[in-house]
Amino acid sequence: MNIATNPWIWLSAILTLCIFSFLYRDNMLYRFAEHLFVGVSAGYLIALTWHNQIYPNLMRPLFVEANFLYIIPLAFALCYFARFIPKFAFLVRLPIAFVIGWGSGVVIPAYFQRDILRQAQGTLLLPEAFAKWDTGLWAIVVLVGVICTLIYFFFSRERKGIIKPAANFGIVFLMLGFGASFGYTVMARISLLIGRLQFLLGDWLGIIR
Amino acid sequence: MKILESLTKIPRQIIFLVIALAVAGPLIIPIGIPVNVMPQTQKLFNAMEELGPESKPVLISCDFDPQSLPELYPMLLAIMRQCYARDVKVVLMALWPQGTSMVELAFEELTAEFTKEYGVDYAFLGYKVGAAAVLLGMGENIESVFPNDFYGTPTNSLPLMSSVKNYKDISLVVTLSTGDPGWRFWLLYAQARYGARLGVGVTAVSAADVYPYVETGQVIGLLSGMKGASEYETLVSQKQYSRGILRASQGMDAQSLGHLFIMIFILIGNIGYFIQQRSRKVQK
Repeated sequence: MNIATNPWIWLSAILTLCIFSFLYRDNMLYRFAEHLFVGVSAGYLIALTWHNQIYPNLMRPLFVEANFLYIIPLAFALCYFARFIPKFAFLVRLPIAFVIGWGSGVVIPAYFQRDILRQAQGTLLLPEAFAKWDTGLWAIVVLVGVICTLIYFFFSRERKGIIKPAANFGIVFLMLGFGASFGYTVMARISLLIGRLQFLLGDWLGIIR
Repeated sequence: MKILESLTKIPRQIIFLVIALAVAGPLIIPIGIPVNVMPQTQKLFNAMEELGPESKPVLISCDFDPQSLPELYPMLLAIMRQCYARDVKVVLMALWPQGTSMVELAFEELTAEFTKEYGVDYAFLGYKVGAAAVLLGMGENIESVFPNDFYGTPTNSLPLMSSVKNYKDISLVVTLSTGDPGWRFWLLYAQARYGARLGVGVTAVSAADVYPYVETGQVIGLLSGMKGASEYETLVSQKQYSRGILRASQGMDAQSLGHLFIMIFILIGNIGYFIQQRSRKVQK
Protein backbone atom coordinates (compact mmCIF):
# COMPACT_ATOMS: atom_id res chain seq x y z
CA MET A 1 0.00 0.00 0.00
CA ASN A 2 1.42 3.33 -1.09
CA ILE A 3 -0.94 6.17 -0.18
CA ALA A 4 -0.67 9.33 -2.31
CA THR A 5 0.97 12.42 -0.84
CA ASN A 6 -0.20 14.77 -3.58
CA PRO A 7 -2.92 17.04 -2.05
CA TRP A 8 -4.74 17.29 -5.43
CA ILE A 9 -5.19 13.52 -5.53
CA TRP A 10 -6.57 13.68 -1.96
CA LEU A 11 -8.97 16.46 -2.93
CA SER A 12 -10.09 14.51 -5.98
CA ALA A 13 -10.57 11.32 -3.92
CA ILE A 14 -12.57 13.13 -1.22
CA LEU A 15 -14.83 14.75 -3.84
CA THR A 16 -15.33 11.34 -5.49
CA LEU A 17 -16.39 9.85 -2.14
CA CYS A 18 -18.72 12.83 -1.55
CA ILE A 19 -20.47 12.07 -4.86
CA PHE A 20 -20.58 8.33 -4.13
CA SER A 21 -22.27 9.08 -0.77
CA PHE A 22 -25.47 9.78 -2.77
CA LEU A 23 -25.72 6.04 -3.40
CA TYR A 24 -26.64 5.68 0.27
CA ARG A 25 -28.94 8.70 0.32
CA ASP A 26 -29.02 12.41 -0.50
CA ASN A 27 -26.83 14.34 1.93
CA MET A 28 -24.94 17.57 2.52
CA LEU A 29 -21.56 16.24 1.30
CA TYR A 30 -23.07 15.19 -2.02
CA ARG A 31 -24.80 18.55 -2.47
CA PHE A 32 -21.55 20.38 -1.66
CA ALA A 33 -19.61 18.42 -4.31
CA GLU A 34 -22.43 18.83 -6.84
CA HIS A 35 -22.65 22.62 -6.36
CA LEU A 36 -18.87 22.94 -6.48
CA PHE A 37 -18.83 21.05 -9.79
CA VAL A 38 -21.58 23.20 -11.30
CA GLY A 39 -19.84 26.41 -10.20
CA VAL A 40 -16.41 25.36 -11.46
CA SER A 41 -17.89 24.15 -14.78
CA ALA A 42 -19.75 27.42 -15.34
CA GLY A 43 -16.63 29.49 -14.58
CA TYR A 44 -14.50 27.26 -16.81
CA LEU A 45 -17.00 27.56 -19.67
CA ILE A 46 -17.14 31.36 -19.44
CA ALA A 47 -13.33 31.66 -19.47
CA LEU A 48 -13.09 29.13 -22.29
CA THR A 49 -15.70 30.91 -24.44
CA TRP A 50 -13.94 34.24 -23.99
CA HIS A 51 -10.42 32.97 -24.70
CA ASN A 52 -11.26 30.54 -27.51
CA GLN A 53 -14.25 32.15 -29.16
CA ILE A 54 -15.05 35.78 -28.47
CA TYR A 55 -11.57 37.28 -28.09
CA PRO A 56 -9.66 35.58 -30.98
CA ASN A 57 -12.59 35.52 -33.42
CA LEU A 58 -14.13 38.93 -32.78
CA MET A 59 -12.46 41.24 -30.26
CA ARG A 60 -8.88 40.91 -31.48
CA PRO A 61 -9.63 41.33 -35.22
CA LEU A 62 -11.99 44.24 -34.54
CA PHE A 63 -10.34 46.21 -31.75
CA VAL A 64 -6.65 45.18 -31.92
CA GLU A 65 -6.16 44.64 -35.66
CA ALA A 66 -8.76 47.32 -36.56
CA ASN A 67 -10.48 45.13 -39.17
CA PHE A 68 -13.81 46.93 -39.30
CA LEU A 69 -15.47 44.23 -41.42
CA TYR A 70 -15.97 42.41 -38.12
CA ILE A 71 -18.61 45.00 -37.16
CA ILE A 72 -21.07 42.87 -39.20
CA PRO A 73 -20.73 39.71 -37.04
CA LEU A 74 -20.70 41.92 -33.92
CA ALA A 75 -23.99 43.52 -34.99
CA PHE A 76 -25.42 40.07 -35.74
CA ALA A 77 -24.33 38.84 -32.31
CA LEU A 78 -25.85 41.86 -30.58
CA CYS A 79 -29.15 41.14 -32.32
CA TYR A 80 -29.50 38.08 -30.05
CA PHE A 81 -29.83 40.45 -27.09
CA ALA A 82 -32.63 42.37 -28.84
CA ARG A 83 -35.15 39.85 -27.50
CA PHE A 84 -34.78 41.51 -24.08
CA ILE A 85 -36.25 44.72 -25.55
CA PRO A 86 -39.81 43.93 -26.76
CA LYS A 87 -39.82 46.77 -29.30
CA PHE A 88 -36.75 45.38 -31.10
CA ALA A 89 -37.30 41.69 -30.38
CA PHE A 90 -37.87 40.96 -34.11
CA LEU A 91 -34.15 41.62 -34.77
CA VAL A 92 -33.27 38.26 -33.19
CA ARG A 93 -34.61 36.62 -36.36
CA LEU A 94 -31.70 37.95 -38.41
CA PRO A 95 -28.88 35.91 -36.80
CA ILE A 96 -31.19 32.90 -36.38
CA ALA A 97 -32.08 33.03 -40.09
CA PHE A 98 -28.39 33.24 -40.99
CA VAL A 99 -27.44 30.28 -38.77
CA ILE A 100 -30.33 28.11 -40.00
CA GLY A 101 -29.66 29.01 -43.63
CA TRP A 102 -25.95 28.28 -43.42
CA GLY A 103 -26.50 25.13 -41.35
CA SER A 104 -29.13 23.67 -43.65
CA GLY A 105 -27.09 24.37 -46.76
CA VAL A 106 -24.05 22.65 -45.33
CA VAL A 107 -25.72 19.77 -43.53
CA ILE A 108 -28.56 18.57 -45.80
CA PRO A 109 -26.41 17.27 -48.73
CA ALA A 110 -23.93 15.67 -46.31
CA TYR A 111 -26.73 14.02 -44.30
CA PHE A 112 -28.26 12.72 -47.52
CA GLN A 113 -24.95 11.19 -48.49
CA ARG A 114 -24.18 9.78 -45.01
CA ASP A 115 -27.54 8.47 -43.84
CA ILE A 116 -29.62 7.79 -46.94
CA LEU A 117 -27.52 7.04 -50.03
CA ARG A 118 -24.74 5.03 -48.37
CA GLN A 119 -27.07 3.31 -45.90
CA ALA A 120 -29.52 2.31 -48.67
CA GLN A 121 -26.53 1.07 -50.69
CA GLY A 122 -25.40 -0.99 -47.69
CA THR A 123 -28.82 -2.62 -47.46
CA LEU A 124 -28.85 -3.80 -51.08
CA LEU A 125 -28.10 -7.44 -51.82
CA LEU A 126 -24.95 -7.06 -53.90
CA PRO A 127 -23.24 -10.14 -55.42
CA GLU A 128 -20.07 -9.58 -53.33
CA ALA A 129 -22.11 -10.05 -50.14
CA PHE A 130 -22.60 -13.67 -51.19
CA ALA A 131 -18.89 -14.43 -51.61
CA LYS A 132 -19.19 -16.33 -48.31
CA TRP A 133 -22.33 -18.06 -47.03
CA ASP A 134 -22.30 -16.24 -43.66
CA THR A 135 -21.96 -12.73 -45.11
CA GLY A 136 -24.75 -13.59 -47.57
CA LEU A 137 -26.98 -14.77 -44.74
CA TRP A 138 -26.33 -11.59 -42.73
CA ALA A 139 -27.04 -9.44 -45.80
CA ILE A 140 -30.47 -11.12 -46.10
CA VAL A 141 -31.11 -10.64 -42.34
CA VAL A 142 -30.20 -6.92 -42.65
CA LEU A 143 -32.49 -6.48 -45.67
CA VAL A 144 -35.42 -8.26 -43.99
CA GLY A 145 -34.78 -6.28 -40.75
CA VAL A 146 -34.75 -2.92 -42.53
CA ILE A 147 -37.92 -3.67 -44.53
CA CYS A 148 -39.87 -5.04 -41.53
CA THR A 149 -38.79 -2.14 -39.28
CA LEU A 150 -39.82 0.39 -41.93
CA ILE A 151 -43.19 -1.39 -42.26
CA TYR A 152 -43.65 -1.07 -38.48
CA PHE A 153 -43.36 2.72 -38.85
CA PHE A 154 -45.70 2.80 -41.88
CA PHE A 155 -48.95 4.16 -40.47
CA SER A 156 -50.83 4.97 -43.69
CA ARG A 157 -52.41 1.50 -44.06
CA GLU A 158 -54.36 -0.56 -41.58
CA ARG A 159 -52.32 -3.40 -40.06
CA LYS A 160 -53.85 -6.44 -41.69
CA GLY A 161 -52.81 -9.03 -44.25
CA ILE A 162 -49.06 -9.26 -44.90
CA ILE A 163 -48.40 -5.89 -43.20
CA LYS A 164 -49.34 -7.22 -39.74
CA PRO A 165 -46.81 -10.10 -39.45
CA ALA A 166 -44.13 -8.00 -41.16
CA ALA A 167 -44.67 -5.14 -38.66
CA ASN A 168 -44.63 -7.60 -35.76
CA PHE A 169 -41.39 -9.08 -37.06
CA GLY A 170 -40.07 -5.49 -37.21
CA ILE A 171 -40.72 -5.21 -33.47
CA VAL A 172 -38.32 -8.14 -32.92
CA PHE A 173 -35.55 -6.21 -34.70
CA LEU A 174 -36.39 -3.05 -32.76
CA MET A 175 -36.23 -4.94 -29.45
CA LEU A 176 -32.88 -6.46 -30.43
CA GLY A 177 -31.61 -2.95 -31.17
CA PHE A 178 -32.90 -1.57 -27.87
CA GLY A 179 -31.40 -4.55 -26.01
CA ALA A 180 -28.00 -3.98 -27.61
CA SER A 181 -28.14 -0.26 -26.74
CA PHE A 182 -29.13 -1.03 -23.14
CA GLY A 183 -26.34 -3.61 -22.81
CA TYR A 184 -23.81 -1.09 -24.09
CA THR A 185 -25.18 1.54 -21.69
CA VAL A 186 -24.69 -0.81 -18.73
CA MET A 187 -21.15 -1.47 -19.95
CA ALA A 188 -20.46 2.28 -20.16
CA ARG A 189 -21.71 2.91 -16.62
CA ILE A 190 -19.67 0.04 -15.19
CA SER A 191 -16.65 1.43 -17.07
CA LEU A 192 -17.11 4.76 -15.30
CA LEU A 193 -17.21 2.97 -11.94
CA ILE A 194 -14.08 1.00 -12.88
CA GLY A 195 -12.32 4.26 -13.79
CA ARG A 196 -13.13 5.81 -10.43
CA LEU A 197 -12.19 2.65 -8.51
CA GLN A 198 -8.90 2.44 -10.43
CA PHE A 199 -8.24 6.00 -9.31
CA LEU A 200 -9.23 5.38 -5.67
CA LEU A 201 -7.44 2.03 -5.34
CA GLY A 202 -4.46 2.96 -7.52
CA ASP A 203 -3.62 6.66 -7.58
CA TRP A 204 -4.98 7.39 -4.10
CA LEU A 205 -4.50 4.30 -1.92
CA GLY A 206 -1.78 2.63 -3.99
CA ILE A 207 -3.30 -0.84 -3.59
CA ILE A 208 -3.20 -1.57 -7.32
CA ARG A 209 -0.75 -0.44 -10.05
CA MET B 1 -42.44 -18.17 -1.50
CA LYS B 2 -42.10 -15.19 0.80
CA ILE B 3 -38.32 -15.30 0.39
CA LEU B 4 -38.69 -15.11 -3.42
CA GLU B 5 -41.20 -12.27 -3.13
CA SER B 6 -38.86 -10.36 -0.85
CA LEU B 7 -36.23 -10.52 -3.61
CA THR B 8 -38.09 -7.74 -5.42
CA LYS B 9 -37.63 -5.54 -2.37
CA ILE B 10 -33.82 -5.71 -2.00
CA PRO B 11 -32.71 -2.22 -0.81
CA ARG B 12 -30.87 -0.39 -3.56
CA GLN B 13 -27.96 0.24 -1.16
CA ILE B 14 -27.34 -3.53 -1.00
CA ILE B 15 -27.36 -3.75 -4.81
CA PHE B 16 -24.87 -0.86 -5.07
CA LEU B 17 -22.63 -2.47 -2.45
CA VAL B 18 -22.63 -5.86 -4.21
CA ILE B 19 -21.83 -4.23 -7.58
CA ALA B 20 -19.05 -2.14 -5.97
CA LEU B 21 -17.50 -5.27 -4.40
CA ALA B 22 -17.89 -7.23 -7.65
CA VAL B 23 -16.06 -4.49 -9.52
CA ALA B 24 -13.39 -3.71 -6.90
CA GLY B 25 -12.53 -7.36 -6.20
CA PRO B 26 -11.05 -8.26 -9.62
CA LEU B 27 -9.15 -4.96 -9.71
CA ILE B 28 -7.28 -6.02 -6.55
CA ILE B 29 -7.06 -9.75 -7.38
CA PRO B 30 -7.24 -10.16 -11.20
CA ILE B 31 -8.98 -13.28 -12.53
CA GLY B 32 -7.51 -13.16 -16.04
CA ILE B 33 -10.62 -13.68 -18.17
CA PRO B 34 -9.38 -13.86 -21.80
CA VAL B 35 -10.27 -11.02 -24.20
CA ASN B 36 -11.72 -11.98 -27.60
CA VAL B 37 -10.99 -9.48 -30.34
CA MET B 38 -14.08 -8.39 -32.29
CA PRO B 39 -13.84 -8.08 -36.12
CA GLN B 40 -14.45 -4.30 -36.11
CA THR B 41 -11.51 -3.78 -33.72
CA GLN B 42 -9.32 -6.04 -35.84
CA LYS B 43 -10.26 -4.02 -38.94
CA LEU B 44 -9.02 -0.76 -37.40
CA PHE B 45 -5.85 -2.46 -36.15
CA ASN B 46 -5.19 -3.94 -39.61
CA ALA B 47 -5.75 -0.57 -41.28
CA MET B 48 -3.15 0.94 -38.95
CA GLU B 49 -0.78 -1.98 -39.55
CA GLU B 50 -0.78 -1.22 -43.27
CA LEU B 51 0.87 2.13 -42.50
CA GLY B 52 4.59 2.68 -42.11
CA PRO B 53 7.24 5.42 -41.84
CA GLU B 54 6.66 6.48 -45.46
CA SER B 55 2.88 6.70 -45.14
CA LYS B 56 0.94 9.91 -44.81
CA PRO B 57 0.32 10.87 -41.16
CA VAL B 58 -2.55 9.59 -39.03
CA LEU B 59 -4.85 12.26 -37.59
CA ILE B 60 -6.20 11.51 -34.11
CA SER B 61 -8.96 13.73 -32.79
CA CYS B 62 -9.53 13.60 -29.03
CA ASP B 63 -13.17 14.56 -28.79
CA PHE B 64 -13.67 13.66 -25.16
CA ASP B 65 -13.24 14.94 -21.64
CA PRO B 66 -12.02 13.39 -18.36
CA GLN B 67 -15.49 11.92 -17.79
CA SER B 68 -14.86 9.37 -20.56
CA LEU B 69 -11.24 8.80 -19.58
CA PRO B 70 -11.66 5.12 -18.48
CA GLU B 71 -13.02 4.15 -21.90
CA LEU B 72 -11.32 6.43 -24.42
CA TYR B 73 -7.93 7.31 -22.92
CA PRO B 74 -6.65 3.68 -23.13
CA MET B 75 -7.64 3.74 -26.83
CA LEU B 76 -5.61 6.91 -27.36
CA LEU B 77 -2.56 5.37 -25.65
CA ALA B 78 -2.84 2.08 -27.55
CA ILE B 79 -3.22 3.77 -30.97
CA MET B 80 -0.36 6.18 -30.27
CA ARG B 81 1.87 3.31 -29.11
CA GLN B 82 1.15 1.45 -32.34
CA CYS B 83 1.93 4.57 -34.42
CA TYR B 84 5.11 5.37 -32.47
CA ALA B 85 6.35 1.77 -32.59
CA ARG B 86 5.78 1.61 -36.36
CA ASP B 87 7.23 5.10 -36.94
CA VAL B 88 3.93 6.34 -38.31
CA LYS B 89 3.62 10.11 -38.02
CA VAL B 90 0.79 11.39 -35.87
CA VAL B 91 -1.12 14.66 -35.91
CA LEU B 92 -3.39 15.27 -32.92
CA MET B 93 -6.22 17.71 -32.37
CA ALA B 94 -9.39 18.10 -30.29
CA LEU B 95 -12.96 19.15 -30.91
CA TRP B 96 -13.53 19.24 -27.16
CA PRO B 97 -11.58 21.79 -25.10
CA GLN B 98 -10.76 19.25 -22.39
CA GLY B 99 -9.46 16.88 -25.06
CA THR B 100 -6.26 18.93 -25.12
CA SER B 101 -5.40 17.88 -21.55
CA MET B 102 -5.99 14.25 -22.52
CA VAL B 103 -3.45 14.59 -25.34
CA GLU B 104 -0.90 16.24 -23.05
CA LEU B 105 -1.41 13.47 -20.49
CA ALA B 106 -0.71 10.89 -23.20
CA PHE B 107 2.45 12.75 -24.33
CA GLU B 108 3.68 12.75 -20.72
CA GLU B 109 2.99 9.03 -20.32
CA LEU B 110 4.57 7.99 -23.63
CA THR B 111 7.73 10.09 -23.25
CA ALA B 112 9.24 7.39 -21.01
CA GLU B 113 8.57 4.67 -23.60
CA PHE B 114 9.43 6.30 -26.94
CA THR B 115 11.95 8.86 -28.18
CA LYS B 116 10.03 10.98 -30.65
CA GLU B 117 10.69 14.49 -31.88
CA TYR B 118 7.90 17.06 -31.74
CA GLY B 119 7.12 18.60 -35.12
CA VAL B 120 8.87 15.76 -36.98
CA ASP B 121 7.23 12.59 -35.66
CA TYR B 122 4.15 14.10 -34.11
CA ALA B 123 2.33 17.41 -33.86
CA PHE B 124 -0.51 18.76 -31.77
CA LEU B 125 -2.85 21.29 -33.36
CA GLY B 126 -4.90 21.86 -30.22
CA TYR B 127 -8.58 22.77 -29.88
CA LYS B 128 -10.65 24.98 -32.11
CA VAL B 129 -14.22 26.04 -31.47
CA GLY B 130 -17.02 25.48 -34.04
CA ALA B 131 -16.66 21.84 -35.02
CA ALA B 132 -18.58 22.00 -38.33
CA ALA B 133 -16.61 25.00 -39.61
CA VAL B 134 -13.35 23.44 -38.37
CA LEU B 135 -13.89 20.12 -40.17
CA LEU B 136 -15.09 21.78 -43.37
CA GLY B 137 -12.16 24.19 -43.29
CA MET B 138 -9.70 21.33 -42.77
CA GLY B 139 -11.03 19.74 -45.94
CA GLU B 140 -9.72 22.77 -47.85
CA ASN B 141 -6.69 23.86 -45.88
CA ILE B 142 -5.64 22.68 -42.41
CA GLU B 143 -3.24 25.56 -41.96
CA SER B 144 -5.99 28.16 -42.41
CA VAL B 145 -7.95 26.53 -39.57
CA PHE B 146 -4.93 25.97 -37.34
CA PRO B 147 -2.43 28.73 -38.22
CA ASN B 148 -0.59 27.88 -34.99
CA ASP B 149 -0.22 24.60 -33.13
CA PHE B 150 -1.30 24.10 -29.50
CA TYR B 151 1.95 25.64 -28.23
CA GLY B 152 1.70 28.75 -30.45
CA THR B 153 4.27 27.64 -33.04
CA PRO B 154 3.26 28.50 -36.64
CA THR B 155 1.91 25.29 -38.16
CA ASN B 156 3.79 25.80 -41.44
CA SER B 157 7.10 25.83 -39.56
CA LEU B 158 6.59 22.22 -38.36
CA PRO B 159 8.37 19.81 -40.78
CA LEU B 160 5.62 17.21 -40.33
CA MET B 161 2.92 19.66 -41.41
CA SER B 162 4.77 20.90 -44.50
CA SER B 163 3.32 18.03 -46.57
CA VAL B 164 -0.12 18.09 -44.96
CA LYS B 165 -2.59 20.41 -46.64
CA ASN B 166 -5.97 18.73 -46.17
CA TYR B 167 -7.60 15.30 -45.67
CA LYS B 168 -6.01 14.02 -48.90
CA ASP B 169 -2.66 14.18 -47.11
CA ILE B 170 -3.91 12.15 -44.13
CA SER B 171 -3.84 8.36 -44.39
CA LEU B 172 -6.42 7.76 -41.69
CA VAL B 173 -8.51 9.87 -39.32
CA VAL B 174 -9.29 8.34 -35.93
CA THR B 175 -11.81 10.09 -33.72
CA LEU B 176 -12.08 9.14 -30.07
CA SER B 177 -15.46 10.50 -29.33
CA THR B 178 -17.79 10.78 -26.37
CA GLY B 179 -20.69 12.71 -27.96
CA ASP B 180 -21.22 15.79 -30.10
CA PRO B 181 -19.11 17.21 -31.60
CA GLY B 182 -17.50 13.87 -32.34
CA TRP B 183 -17.77 10.87 -34.66
CA ARG B 184 -21.05 12.06 -36.26
CA PHE B 185 -19.37 15.33 -37.29
CA TRP B 186 -16.32 13.54 -38.67
CA LEU B 187 -18.56 11.15 -40.61
CA LEU B 188 -20.74 13.97 -41.91
CA TYR B 189 -18.06 16.42 -42.96
CA ALA B 190 -14.70 14.66 -43.29
CA GLN B 191 -15.93 11.26 -44.58
CA ALA B 192 -19.17 11.97 -46.49
CA ARG B 193 -18.01 15.27 -47.98
CA TYR B 194 -14.26 14.85 -48.42
CA GLY B 195 -13.94 11.05 -48.47
CA ALA B 196 -11.51 10.80 -45.54
CA ARG B 197 -10.85 7.26 -44.25
CA LEU B 198 -12.35 7.18 -40.79
CA GLY B 199 -11.78 4.96 -37.75
CA VAL B 200 -13.92 5.51 -34.67
CA GLY B 201 -13.45 4.88 -30.95
CA VAL B 202 -16.52 5.63 -28.85
CA THR B 203 -17.89 5.20 -25.36
CA ALA B 204 -20.03 2.07 -25.09
CA VAL B 205 -23.23 4.17 -24.92
CA SER B 206 -22.72 5.32 -28.53
CA ALA B 207 -21.36 2.06 -29.93
CA ALA B 208 -24.67 0.64 -31.18
CA ASP B 209 -25.22 3.81 -33.24
CA VAL B 210 -21.92 3.40 -35.13
CA TYR B 211 -22.45 -0.22 -36.28
CA PRO B 212 -24.57 0.62 -39.38
CA TYR B 213 -21.72 2.80 -40.66
CA VAL B 214 -19.17 0.02 -40.09
CA GLU B 215 -21.38 -2.36 -42.09
CA THR B 216 -21.44 0.02 -45.08
CA GLY B 217 -17.70 0.70 -44.87
CA GLN B 218 -18.16 4.40 -44.09
CA VAL B 219 -16.27 3.67 -40.87
CA ILE B 220 -13.34 1.33 -41.43
CA GLY B 221 -13.09 0.09 -37.83
CA LEU B 222 -14.71 0.61 -34.46
CA LEU B 223 -13.55 0.44 -30.84
CA SER B 224 -16.54 0.13 -28.51
CA GLY B 225 -16.00 1.36 -24.98
CA MET B 226 -13.65 -0.23 -22.50
CA LYS B 227 -14.03 -3.61 -24.22
CA GLY B 228 -12.86 -2.15 -27.53
CA ALA B 229 -9.96 -0.42 -25.77
CA SER B 230 -8.99 -3.66 -24.09
CA GLU B 231 -9.12 -5.54 -27.42
CA TYR B 232 -6.88 -2.94 -29.04
CA GLU B 233 -4.48 -3.06 -26.08
CA THR B 234 -4.35 -6.86 -26.48
CA LEU B 235 -3.50 -6.57 -30.19
CA VAL B 236 -0.88 -3.89 -29.51
CA SER B 237 0.76 -5.90 -26.72
CA GLN B 238 0.72 -9.09 -28.85
CA LYS B 239 2.88 -7.20 -31.36
CA GLN B 240 5.03 -6.04 -28.42
CA TYR B 241 4.45 -2.37 -29.18
CA SER B 242 3.65 -1.60 -25.56
CA ARG B 243 5.57 -1.75 -22.31
CA GLY B 244 3.11 0.32 -20.28
CA ILE B 245 0.20 -0.59 -18.04
CA LEU B 246 -2.82 -1.84 -20.01
CA ARG B 247 -5.53 0.07 -18.17
CA ALA B 248 -8.58 -1.15 -20.08
CA SER B 249 -7.45 -4.79 -19.97
CA GLN B 250 -6.94 -4.38 -16.21
CA GLY B 251 -10.59 -3.36 -15.92
CA MET B 252 -12.12 -6.13 -18.06
CA ASP B 253 -12.31 -8.71 -15.25
CA ALA B 254 -14.18 -6.16 -13.18
CA GLN B 255 -16.39 -5.37 -16.18
CA SER B 256 -17.29 -9.05 -16.69
CA LEU B 257 -18.03 -9.67 -13.01
CA GLY B 258 -20.06 -6.45 -12.78
CA HIS B 259 -22.15 -7.58 -15.77
CA LEU B 260 -22.62 -11.03 -14.23
CA PHE B 261 -24.02 -9.57 -11.02
CA ILE B 262 -26.30 -7.16 -12.93
CA MET B 263 -27.67 -10.12 -14.92
CA ILE B 264 -28.24 -12.03 -11.66
CA PHE B 265 -30.11 -9.04 -10.20
CA ILE B 266 -32.24 -8.72 -13.36
CA LEU B 267 -33.12 -12.42 -13.18
CA ILE B 268 -33.90 -12.23 -9.45
CA GLY B 269 -36.07 -9.16 -10.00
CA ASN B 270 -38.00 -10.84 -12.82
CA ILE B 271 -38.50 -14.12 -10.96
CA GLY B 272 -39.74 -12.19 -7.91
CA TYR B 273 -42.06 -10.11 -10.09
CA PHE B 274 -43.67 -13.14 -11.76
CA ILE B 275 -44.13 -14.93 -8.42
CA GLN B 276 -45.77 -11.79 -7.02
CA GLN B 277 -48.10 -11.58 -10.04
CA ARG B 278 -49.01 -15.26 -9.66
CA SER B 279 -49.77 -15.03 -5.95
CA ARG B 280 -52.00 -11.97 -6.61
CA LYS B 281 -53.96 -13.98 -9.20
CA VAL B 282 -54.35 -16.88 -6.74
CA GLN B 283 -55.60 -14.48 -4.02
CA LYS B 284 -58.23 -13.07 -6.41
